[in-house]
Amino acid sequence: MNVRLKLAVAALALVLAMPLQYSSSFPLGGNETVLPPGTELNEDALARPREVFRSEFVGGRKSYLVNLGDVAFNSPTILGGAARKAGVSCGTCHVNGASNPKLFIPGMSTRPGNFDTTGLTFSPKAFNSLLDSVRIPSLRGARHLAPYGHDGRFASLRDFIRNAIVNEFAGPEPAPAILDALVTYVQDIDFLRNPRLGPGGRLAPSYASEAELRGEALFFKPFRHQPTLSCATCHVPTGVFVDYLQHDVGSGGFFKTPTLLNANFNRPYFHDGRYDSYDQVVEHFDGLFDLGLAATDKQELVAYLTAVGDGERPYERDGVMLRMKEINDFASVLELAIPAGDAAIVSLVVRTVGTELRELAERFPDHRNNAVAGGQLERRAARMALKDLVMMFRNIELAVSAGRFDDAAAQLQKINERAFVEVPALLKKAEPWSLFNSEVHDAHYGALQQMFGSANRRPQ
Amino acid sequence: MISDRIRTTTREVRRSARWHAVFVCLIVATTCVPDAGASSLEGAAERYRRYLADDIGRTLAGARALRERMEAHDLDGAKGAWIEARIGWERSEVFTSGFVPELDQEIDAWPNAQRGFHAIEAKLFGADRTDSHEETEALIAHLTNLHAMVQDIPLQPQRLLNGIARLAFEIGGNKADGGESRLSGTSLGDMQSNVDGIELAYRIIFSDAVEAAAPELAEAARAAIQDLKATVQVPALRDIDSEKLRAKSEELVAILQSAAASLGLQRPTLEEATPQ
Repeated sequence: MNVRLKLAVAALALVLAMPLQYSSSFPLGGNETVLPPGTELNEDALARPREVFRSEFVGGRKSYLVNLGDVAFNSPTILGGAARKAGVSCGTCHVNGASNPKLFIPGMSTRPGNFDTTGLTFSPKAFNSLLDSVRIPSLRGARHLAPYGHDGRFASLRDFIRNAIVNEFAGPEPAPAILDALVTYVQDIDFLRNPRLGPGGRLAPSYASEAELRGEALFFKPFRHQPTLSCATCHVPTGVFVDYLQHDVGSGGFFKTPTLLNANFNRPYFHDGRYDSYDQVVEHFDGLFDLGLAATDKQELVAYLTAVGDGERPYERDGVMLRMKEINDFASVLELAIPAGDAAIVSLVVRTVGTELRELAERFPDHRNNAVAGGQLERRAARMALKDLVMMFRNIELAVSAGRFDDAAAQLQKINERAFVEVPALLKKAEPWSLFNSEVHDAHYGALQQMFGSANRRPQ
Repeated sequence: MISDRIRTTTREVRRSARWHAVFVCLIVATTCVPDAGASSLEGAAERYRRYLADDIGRTLAGARALRERMEAHDLDGAKGAWIEARIGWERSEVFTSGFVPELDQEIDAWPNAQRGFHAIEAKLFGADRTDSHEETEALIAHLTNLHAMVQDIPLQPQRLLNGIARLAFEIGGNKADGGESRLSGTSLGDMQSNVDGIELAYRIIFSDAVEAAAPELAEAARAAIQDLKATVQVPALRDIDSEKLRAKSEELVAILQSAAASLGLQRPTLEEATPQ
């Protein structure tokens, strides 16, 4: 009880100390939420990290395993406890396989973008009575980034994922097929391409500025007091800017070298997310190794890091086409799972897709929501089409559980006839009056904010 | 408050049990008559009108009590009256959202709480204020209007089946964010009243007709409604197993969709087909 109280007080202090900039999106409110009031999952964000799959990038297609892994990754049902109840999945923190720099859970986060994997909220089993939050890492390029965990404690990605599910998020022991799929999915998430980097991890001269090139030279320059070391010793440019080792860089222990690739989108920095910018990181190392960097040196190093950390189209606008593509990719798992009679996987897909479809339907305000005027016919048609799909998926699960596999396959065929063209077209028509439209989005969430804001306006 | 609701529901169960017996006799007597299903359903929908009017009347009485308590600056009394008014309202949602969407928007606008129940909730529960006089007067006026309307508005069985299926589907939505009545902390009560409303409307209007036409579906529907009831009978909103709730909600919808044909009705839609 005492520990809980301390955590609550610490969380309150942190919330009160939060700069205003962090409260710009919509936090949970009220007193009946599964997660603590003030929780920010950033689920209403209109810009989502772009996900690139290795299999597609090289001209192939995502396999059944990749899609099944993606389903499981986005399914709260593979977790347990508060995560399952709150609808939190792996994808809540690792949005589209990247990170979530705005995620903040009082009592679990010390700042937006980090999270205590050994906190009490999600798993008493892992609780260590410390608020030792670690930053949420991006999983882009994870197949190149072993060992796993901020301190590199797991050599195997499979062991790491299992531990996260079972011990950190109180889930049941995952089936080997699900673990296989999760590993395959994570291994297929690629880095965003960065045309500014050439072979050997050197800056492509045609893209690089003078400052960036000088920064690159500084990156390779031996430290003045430890000439066997340079920045490039650990962040090896011929690879993925890591050395696969753990080092003590004065942040409280041994932590593994993070990749610099796509790092522009991986804020906050360091294992606990203590730094917001490259400037702060460079300042830290200048102090730690007494590098004696001049102000211009620091700027050039930051320019170099920014060039290395870049990536093509890091974000994409959330919308109906993106959502339907994801749903259809998830549903593709049923093409093999139904004939195989794999009821557990059919259930997992139906539940995950159903949740996504229901959530998508909620993006089209109903008649009681006066945050939006117009498009009522279109919104209604969109909602109806999505709800019908939810029921069609549910009917697949019911058919499979009754051993009627032919009925399930026929239902999937009907879904495919609608979900690739007809439904997306209906949704597209209604999109201007949906929460995917910035104005409608702001009016809707503004109204919610106003309602919760009233709780802070009690009479004196 | 919850025990009041349970007592009320128990009374209604007993009351409706008598109707149930009468209705079974009617079904048996009329199964050989062409189009008997449709006319029986219309008769049953008429019998449902009384219950619907009672629920709207209860909501109206609650809203008037709310006005009185607010005028007396009785914060706790006003909160209690608001909660009481919501029970009848949520029970009648099988009707309100499809038959009278304009009034629904005035009475239950969400989340833009400039009017209706949630505007009052924001001040009353969010800010401990008893000065929502204007909003409460408007609420009473709309409920008075609605109470008058339900005396003779045509109650088509098809639209009532749509309303039941739609609400059954809606209950399956995730409420982990606190639901709609999160400032008053009564979102769970809303859901329990919704399920009570579904059970009432199904039992009065459709139960016996389904029993006569497709006994296995009747049994499945009864079981699904009981499952749904059990799933929302938890101490607090956060204790709900949301995955189970969604499965039970969709199973009930699937049963109602299957049963429609045996009643000579169209498959219920999950949105009202004709916009206002």
